[in-house]
Amino acid sequence: MIKAYYRPKDLAEALEILSRTNGEYRPLGGGVTLSQMSAQTISVVDLQSLGLNSLTQEGQFLQIGATTTLASLANLDYIQPGLKSAIRLEANNNLRQQATVAGTLVSTGGRSTFGTVMLALDALLHWLPVDQEQGLGEWFTLRQAPSKALLINKVQIPLNVSLAFDTIGRTPDDLPVICAAVAKWPSGRARVTLGGFGAAPILALDAPESGGAEAAVRDALSRATDSWASAEYRQEAGARLVLRLMGQLQPV
Amino acid sequence: MMIYFTLNGDLVEWEADPSDTLLSVLRRHGMFGVKSGGCAKGECGACAVLLDKKPVNSCTLLAAQVTGHQVETIEAMGEHPEQGWKKTSGLHPIQQALVESGAIQCGYCTPAFALAARALIEKNQDPTEAEVRTAISGILCRCTGYLKPVQAILRAAAVMRGETVPPIMGTPETETQGWSVSMPPVGTLPESGLGLAETTSQTRVMPKIWTSQDAGERPRTQIGRPEVKVDAVKLVQGKPAFSADIEKRGMLVAKVLHSPLAHARIKSIDLSDARALPGVAAVLCYKDIPRVIYSTAGQSDPIPGPLDAFSLDRKVRFVGDRVAFVAAETAEIAEQALRLIKVEYEELPAILDSRESMLPGAVRIHDESEYVDFADSNPAKNVAAEIRIDIGDIEKGFAEADRIYEEEYTVPKVQQAHIEPHVVVTYWDEDDRLVIRTSTQVPFHARRILAPVLGLPVKRIRVIKPRIGGGFGGKQEVLIEDVAAHLTIATSRPVIYETSREEEFIAARSRHPMRVRMKTGVKLDGTITANAMYALSDTGAYGCHALTVTGNTGHKAMALYVGAGPYRLAPNIRFYADVVYTNTPPAGAFRGYGVPQGFWPLERQIEHIARDLGMDSIDFRMKNALRSGELHPFSTAWSEGREPRPEIVHTVGLEECVRQAKAAIGWDQKYPDIEWHVVPGKPHLRRGIGVATVMQGTAIPYLDMGGASIKMNDDGSFNLLVGATDLGTGSDTVLAQMAAEVLGVPVDDILVYSSDTDFTPFDKGAYASSTTYISGAAVVRAAEMAAERIKLRAARLINKLAAGPEVSEEDILLANKQASTRDGRFVTLEEIALNTLHHDDQEQIMGTGSYYSPVSPPPFAAQFAEVTVDVETGKVVVDRLVMAVDSGVIVNPITASGQIEGGLTQALGYAVCEEMVYDEKGRARETDLDDYHIFRADEMPALETIFVQTYEPSHPFGVKAVAEIPMDGVAPAVGNAILDACGAELLEIPATPERIWRALKKVTP
Repeated sequence: MIKAYYRPKDLAEALEILSRTNGEYRPLGGGVTLSQMSAQTISVVDLQSLGLNSLTQEGQFLQIGATTTLASLANLDYIQPGLKSAIRLEANNNLRQQATVAGTLVSTGGRSTFGTVMLALDALLHWLPVDQEQGLGEWFTLRQAPSKALLINKVQIPLNVSLAFDTIGRTPDDLPVICAAVAKWPSGRARVTLGGFGAAPILALDAPESGGAEAAVRDALSRATDSWASAEYRQEAGARLVLRLMGQLQPV
Repeated sequence: MMIYFTLNGDLVEWEADPSDTLLSVLRRHGMFGVKSGGCAKGECGACAVLLDKKPVNSCTLLAAQVTGHQVETIEAMGEHPEQGWKKTSGLHPIQQALVESGAIQCGYCTPAFALAARALIEKNQDPTEAEVRTAISGILCRCTGYLKPVQAILRAAAVMRGETVPPIMGTPETETQGWSVSMPPVGTLPESGLGLAETTSQTRVMPKIWTSQDAGERPRTQIGRPEVKVDAVKLVQGKPAFSADIEKRGMLVAKVLHSPLAHARIKSIDLSDARALPGVAAVLCYKDIPRVIYSTAGQSDPIPGPLDAFSLDRKVRFVGDRVAFVAAETAEIAEQALRLIKVEYEELPAILDSRESMLPGAVRIHDESEYVDFADSNPAKNVAAEIRIDIGDIEKGFAEADRIYEEEYTVPKVQQAHIEPHVVVTYWDEDDRLVIRTSTQVPFHARRILAPVLGLPVKRIRVIKPRIGGGFGGKQEVLIEDVAAHLTIATSRPVIYETSREEEFIAARSRHPMRVRMKTGVKLDGTITANAMYALSDTGAYGCHALTVTGNTGHKAMALYVGAGPYRLAPNIRFYADVVYTNTPPAGAFRGYGVPQGFWPLERQIEHIARDLGMDSIDFRMKNALRSGELHPFSTAWSEGREPRPEIVHTVGLEECVRQAKAAIGWDQKYPDIEWHVVPGKPHLRRGIGVATVMQGTAIPYLDMGGASIKMNDDGSFNLLVGATDLGTGSDTVLAQMAAEVLGVPVDDILVYSSDTDFTPFDKGAYASSTTYISGAAVVRAAEMAAERIKLRAARLINKLAAGPEVSEEDILLANKQASTRDGRFVTLEEIALNTLHHDDQEQIMGTGSYYSPVSPPPFAAQFAEVTVDVETGKVVVDRLVMAVDSGVIVNPITASGQIEGGLTQALGYAVCEEMVYDEKGRARETDLDDYHIFRADEMPALETIFVQTYEPSHPFGVKAVAEIPMDGVAPAVGNAILDACGAELLEIPATPERIWRALKKVTP
């Protein structure tokens, strides 16, 4: 249950409210998750007036304001097609207009296509007021913000990375039973991530080059059994996907 | 707190709670065009509004978030073009296109579609089909298959660009034994490649119609016309037409406490804290209400199944079973009260696998002393129904076979997933009669079944059925009406109970899952000598529809192939079934009613046998299939627990269906072509094409009855009152067309009202593919009775007013709103109405009619599918579905093709993605429309419908059913296409990637 709604006009006010200790205060992005009836009593701090919805290209990086909607991000001409595809599968068209990038990343589960791709891109979450960056992988693993952090103001991803993504579900738009993303940096660094199961997408490989990806995928999926698919299947299908994705990577 | 925003151009300032969603606030202020799908994650989109010109879901937005923004709802988009002296700008072109194109079925999601389309076209005046599909992909529709909404939006965009769009078509000019000239151009084929299916829709919406000589030689004026649905204008405006769209002073909100355990006795239950919570009006458990056993199945009397349910019981039998009811001032208080109820359970062993239900020593799920058996039910063995049907001599047939094939197949439990959840409002009226306003397919059955449960006589209950936001069998159940009714009785106040999407999954009904064993004997020339099916059917915790659904599995599917030669005259068929209880949510009625469960095993078995014999599988099917003039083999053996009576099947258009669908999909070019089966540049992909032939029924003979009454108004229009329940199918429109045909008036002059147990005649309700056939025949009878009086009075008037030879009623023809003689004299119906109501020998011209049928003429169909399979991962994409169907004469080609397209889409879900799975504690895996995936607009294959019109002689206009048969053949056609693509023999649906991958591993290279 939401007992109070705040809409601060600037970051300082937002941080002040979120730092209060007389109850639980949560940042509100698009509202997709927090708008639902819950037994827990909370107060929400709506970030919509803080100007955190900008998209800025800084060198080889894209700085994504925390409250940028998934639709706005997907509409950028210059992001990787794999990222667009993952966004399209993450949420339906209506929710994409609402759901924010940061809100989606902090609340997402293992079947998240967006989370899988952002993990492959080694996205960085920037926390305030500690002014500290945290890798998305660390967030997924710990689900804990850096000490004294209150909210994310931006998310950073690299643009000079070749990215390929694919998914297997029961239908083209279905949640994946296995999905994979492969990102490759100009330096040769490669990251392979997997989603479609568990509490969060996982990193299968982060190496100076992409050798050993298939083995890494099979290893990462060795215990990925749930009611949606067996580990045996995910290992086989995941390995096939990743090998194909490697072949699809465009030179950076 | 106060919120401020611009709503439909006006600044509003409203009080809201911080927890309020925009959806709840808008509806509280009368914006009933914003619908609730009961979902918690914004999956369905029925609640969509435009926020700053973009479509968003109002259920996942706090009301406070919209302060300072612009919100637009359907209420301001357009309005009825004629409002007396007031001039309006009429409907918005998008609304107009949705109306004209047949894009509206139940209409629950229509406002959301209209708004999403508006947002798109305002940004992009010339959208592609893919862009339209993306724009509406946030809105789920369970009725249409999205084809007509897409066509409508493309038409609207063209109109708004100032272009001329093709006419929707008037009456198709039929050519006997051939195509109607209304045949639209064939769409281009989709490109395969395991991406999104590239469908090509058109702005022309008429389906192909092939007409037999019989059907073509009876020209009609109204039958066969693509009339606009009679409720379309209201639905496209989002008018408050549905059960929940009502405000009652002092109305309480009901919630139900559901069992967390699969099987348990309630040792103790403490309601005191919940009752003490401020704002709580009533909390009820089993101790508070009478213990009356009944069945929730909405069927005729006597219910053909066991009586095994109570409103509330001291025992719970599945996770989701009812424990207590709460009524409170708000939903939040009611939820809070649920959390304050303390229950101590004695957990019992649970049966979650139907194969364990009948094992010796299995726990007994129904041990209540009040249990009432029906036929061969046996609660001591957890058997809700047993079916043993033998036709001919099965053992002799097997002995005469050259080869015998045996296999076991599995079909899943799936959900109806109508977008409007179950919803009911109850209140006492001023005469102390209980009014139940409910989203039901069976208002009359609901009244009869509820009366003893509530301790009221039938005459003190009035059931009103407003519009229904989809039912598909899920509302052929008296599922929640008792909850609100008990609480109204307890509190004397109006109560509303709307189920959440989660409750739809854990506590509503579903399709019976089955394990089916087939054994088929054939001769080497392809003659079937014997065919046997055994079905182990899982009815879940209660036996609603247990006997009749599973009986239908055999009755329809196993009737199709009778055998060839002497076996055709004396087929050898066996259908045995055990319908068992388990501790899972109850199964019930779902479109197709057991028949899709039968055709998956049958058509997979037939395909396997044909291939093994080296025969063309279509030739094999046609060699053994039922033909015109033959006896329905089951008609002498079984009739839902009643006495069977022989039935001849007079019209079988199956061969023509096969011919037409084969041509449409290009079977002869693709099936034998090895090159077609490969995808250039993608060695891991294979294409496949598959077929299934199917049959259904049309109503239940000697049982289903519909009634109608019709009366003439002063202006020559008519009120048509029917008990039949249009749940989005368009039946009100089709019934109006039939009345209009008889009375010689346009459909506009037939005002349909359905249904209200106080005012409309009895009708068994919307199920068993019966409304057009049964209720339609009743309407024809009522209209004919009225027409007889009109002709009599017309003859009198003409003799009095017009010079010429004297005429009698036999000389009068009704057409064009006139009663005419052959020599050209006429009086208008308005003149007749004024004369009979006001001037001479006054009388109310009216007619009544009712009808039940001695036969159940089956529709037939050929269904084809094209797929692309990734042979390395098992991922499959269905690229195209084609269905040619013999449904007799088509009364309205637009609404009928809408039924086919929607049915194909539901059946596609059954084939590849829909499934309800439970963990080891009986807890549901699927509780929302993310995990339970139903197809969205932007992932659909191409759909094509072809009507093969025959003339069914048992109906006044030659019709048969159309609504359920699309469910039957998609899954086996897809399964057969997967087999064709890669050799994978699937025995179980849905055809998930892992199942295909495992089947592929068994394929010998």
